[in-house]
Amino acid sequence: MSELQAVGRSNAPKIAYVIEPRFSGGTSAAVAAELPVAAQFGQVVVHAITSRTFGGNQHISPVLRRVLDELNIPLIWDAPRINADFVFLHNPSFLKYQDTLNTRIIARDLYVITHENFLRPGGAEGFDVAACLNQIETSAISLRKTLAPISPYNRRTVTDWLATSRVARQWEVLDNDWFNICQSDMRGPCERPQDRRGRHSRPGFEKFPAIADLDNCFPPHSQCNVILGADALLNARVLRAHWKLLPFDAISVEEFFGMIDFFVYFTAPTWQESFGRVVAEAIAAGKVVLTNPDTGATFGNAVLTCEPAGVDKIITDLVANPKKYHDQVAKSQAALKAYSPEKFKAMLSGILSADSGVHP
Amino acid sequence: MIYVESGTRSLRSFDAQLIFAEQLAARGFNVCIDAEYFPEDPGRGRFYEASKFLADPEEHKAQTVFVLGVEEIDDQLLASLRKKELDPSVPVIATGRFPTQQSYIAAKARLAYALGREVRVMDLTDFQPRPVMAATASPLVSDIRSPSRRPSREFPNVTVVLGSMELDNPETLSCFSRMSSQGGYNLRLIVSGAQNEAIKASPFHDLSTYMYTGLSPLSLAKSTDILAMFGKGIAGVRMAAFAVELIVTGGVVIDCTEDEALMASGAPAVLGPKTPFALDGYLTGQVIGNVAHIAEQAAKSQWRHTVDISRLETAAGLRPKQRKPAPAEEKTLFFPTNGVGLGHAQRCAVIAREMPEAAPKMFAAFPSCVPLVRREGIDCIPLVQRIDTKTSADGNDVLTYRRLSAALRDNDTLVFDGGYVFDSVYRVIRERSLLAVWIRRGLWPEGRSRQSMLRREGVFDRVIVPSEAFEELNDAYSFGNHVHYVGPIVRQVEQSAEEKEQLRARLAKRFGRDFKQLVVSMLGGGVASDRSAQLQAISSMVESRKDCLHLVVTWPGSTVQPAAFGWTNTHVVQTLEATKLCLAADLVISAAGYNSVLEMLYHRIPAIFIPQSAPYLDDQERRAQAMADRDLCAMITEREFMKLERTVTDCLDHGGTAFYQTALNAFKLPETGASKAAALLTGLEARHEG
Repeated sequence: MSELQAVGRSNAPKIAYVIEPRFSGGTSAAVAAELPVAAQFGQVVVHAITSRTFGGNQHISPVLRRVLDELNIPLIWDAPRINADFVFLHNPSFLKYQDTLNTRIIARDLYVITHENFLRPGGAEGFDVAACLNQIETSAISLRKTLAPISPYNRRTVTDWLATSRVARQWEVLDNDWFNICQSDMRGPCERPQDRRGRHSRPGFEKFPAIADLDNCFPPHSQCNVILGADALLNARVLRAHWKLLPFDAISVEEFFGMIDFFVYFTAPTWQESFGRVVAEAIAAGKVVLTNPDTGATFGNAVLTCEPAGVDKIITDLVANPKKYHDQVAKSQAALKAYSPEKFKAMLSGILSADSGVHP
Repeated sequence: MIYVESGTRSLRSFDAQLIFAEQLAARGFNVCIDAEYFPEDPGRGRFYEASKFLADPEEHKAQTVFVLGVEEIDDQLLASLRKKELDPSVPVIATGRFPTQQSYIAAKARLAYALGREVRVMDLTDFQPRPVMAATASPLVSDIRSPSRRPSREFPNVTVVLGSMELDNPETLSCFSRMSSQGGYNLRLIVSGAQNEAIKASPFHDLSTYMYTGLSPLSLAKSTDILAMFGKGIAGVRMAAFAVELIVTGGVVIDCTEDEALMASGAPAVLGPKTPFALDGYLTGQVIGNVAHIAEQAAKSQWRHTVDISRLETAAGLRPKQRKPAPAEEKTLFFPTNGVGLGHAQRCAVIAREMPEAAPKMFAAFPSCVPLVRREGIDCIPLVQRIDTKTSADGNDVLTYRRLSAALRDNDTLVFDGGYVFDSVYRVIRERSLLAVWIRRGLWPEGRSRQSMLRREGVFDRVIVPSEAFEELNDAYSFGNHVHYVGPIVRQVEQSAEEKEQLRARLAKRFGRDFKQLVVSMLGGGVASDRSAQLQAISSMVESRKDCLHLVVTWPGSTVQPAAFGWTNTHVVQTLEATKLCLAADLVISAAGYNSVLEMLYHRIPAIFIPQSAPYLDDQERRAQAMADRDLCAMITEREFMKLERTVTDCLDHGGTAFYQTALNAFKLPETGASKAAALLTGLEARHEG
């Protein structure tokens, strides 16, 4: 027993999360899901950074607030200094509208979880990555600095970006994906699927494909086409008699899934989901998901991949063969187990138990 | 078609769209702006400017899209781009001034999301590190490669932008007034609404002023040789574009701003006095004699390359189109305005007929006048008359502007015959560098503001004033070498005694009854003055006369009360040959317009005149009174119904017409002025060609 342990210091590592708690989408949900797992490994502290991306308020994402309360973890705003064995900084893109990170980070290992793709399809930068990483680099002292991609596609954008960047030598890339935990209750598929299609997402333009592709995905002959998060379509008066357009939050996600049998999800070709929580939710709800190959890559054979023009054929086939539909849902839900808390715990355990590389 | 879009929607960004669209149009490209961008309250000037470019996206397929000011992007832009469903081959070029790399990346990404493909985003700060104006969506570029388009002028045109200058010091306007009175240059001021009000309310109200949106920056630069800018900073994007365009086209810009805003940008302006009191001395002592030298130095400046429009064109793969060769012959276009009657068109047609046959000429006229012009063998563009609605009071004038702009080329001649100089006329003269002539009839009514009537006289090269027949009616309203008085302009027709009888016989046949006396009423179209009571009175008088036919002459668009159709002896007719009808008549009862009075006088037709009295008409009462004073006609005012009855009876039954006929026959007619007016028009063109 060391002297330090003798005066009461625990062997458990000190883990500090550095987050922008005002992200309303996937980042906050992902952090909320992994905090209970991380808490099993050591003393977890959560630091909030007030970034320019979200202004001066201190509204915390509700899903995050709930978990912090449950775990009795205090949220510390804008600490001048963060000391921990492990620091997990989630989604560095929150630094994109500022020049400096006014928090000193001192850690054995610093992991930066790259929730946002560094590059967009085609290779254009998704955000000013160098500026964000430089702020972290300047503010942090650690033995290792590691970028942790969250999906195969996300990993590709990180490595491709590093390949052309001068800051590459400062950063390692984690071998395993720091995936999002998908822990929804699984619901079984409906007995007899019908041609009831839908999609939901935030209303941003990046989340929607070209109008011609939407027309392919949601044709007049399908029994129903529900588009939740269609605020931009409504505002621009892109209306079709056979579309049910609903603003974001107009109905609950559960209600939405009750209206459809097929989740048809395509985005702007110039943007790509870095993980695709929305796809995981649809799978958990017992729906067949049709999406583009890159989004599908995160979930392996859990989803059907195609182009918008191919959607109709697949749906027609599955409506005619309910067994095939049931098999697809079963296969999808089985694949989703790769993103369970247990799997995440195993991944995190590997990180926390890794050799520091420092030897006397 | 090139679409010019903007990152956000505001008056300022709309100005940026207008400026860039006009520059591209001047380079020979077809450009439009999605009508959705048209601001709710654009102001009068922008209404006209925008009319050239606004289009519904369904009308034109986009071949190139420029998006200005993408440092800020709203969802409306993204929706607009997405709805266009552009073919991947359509170049989309976006410009912006990005404070950070992130703002550049974000703009690029958002545009890519909307379009589904990457677009070329040009950071203007790359080649304009110190822009003339930083906070603007306008790229502030110009055509730096064309040779100088600056016309040589006897006296340079000096434009002064007041900017944020306060006019509380009475000496300021007094100073400008002195400057505008000296002979070394022509001065005009560009002012804000408040400054304009202050000037109009001051003793110096005759200063030549333009509002900021009065003319486009390109048009301002075309008609300016020296620009002096005052105030703090540059007074908006329009003025910044004006300055850039002027420097590039060989004009001189004097930076008199408090913060030396132009000089700070590196633009080859000259630093001038910060107070207007020293401007005159600076202009006459330092600038006017050295314009060519200053322009030459500016032409060598590397700064010109920072405002080179070809960067943007090249990025879009655009090649400036060859300008169309100028037409071999420059034409004269007559634009007679009118209410319902045909007076202005008639007068212009008389002048046109006196011009050499070979001289190309055409008309633009309201529908009622079109047949009159075309029967003279002259082509006529139909215009649309004003509709009396509150929402689009100027809508028809915008259309007139568009049609005149389409018909006229640089150096054509525009002959405007009317009282109030419409925006359409004023703008098209300025924009097309036209030779301009104003046929301006006199006899303005009491109380009409001479100042507002003459406000735009300066835009005309010549003013031709057709005289009245009686000397005391020929008031002078403005003076100068450009004002030319000519004799009365009147259409003269001949009718032999035989033709007269033939016409009366045709009328008897047409109306199915014989008559001994023919009475013709021409009391106007019912728009300027309601003469239905007088018409009813006359019709009633004639009704009891079994051998009398009463014809009420109307024009297309006239208001005719239904009651006019209820009489046996009265018939409503529409004709372009009213003079011949009058020559065949025993008595004419007419309004006292310029043409009517002169036609009666020069054809020596006895008449009773009932002057109209609408405030926008000329002083018909004075004209009729002058004639009546010489016993050449009878005059009845609008309330003299008893006198009207007595006079009609006198004329028809007691030799009244013979009395007037004798006086008319004895009256020495002044020489008519149509041929002189025609010669002045031809002479103007010849002077230009010389």
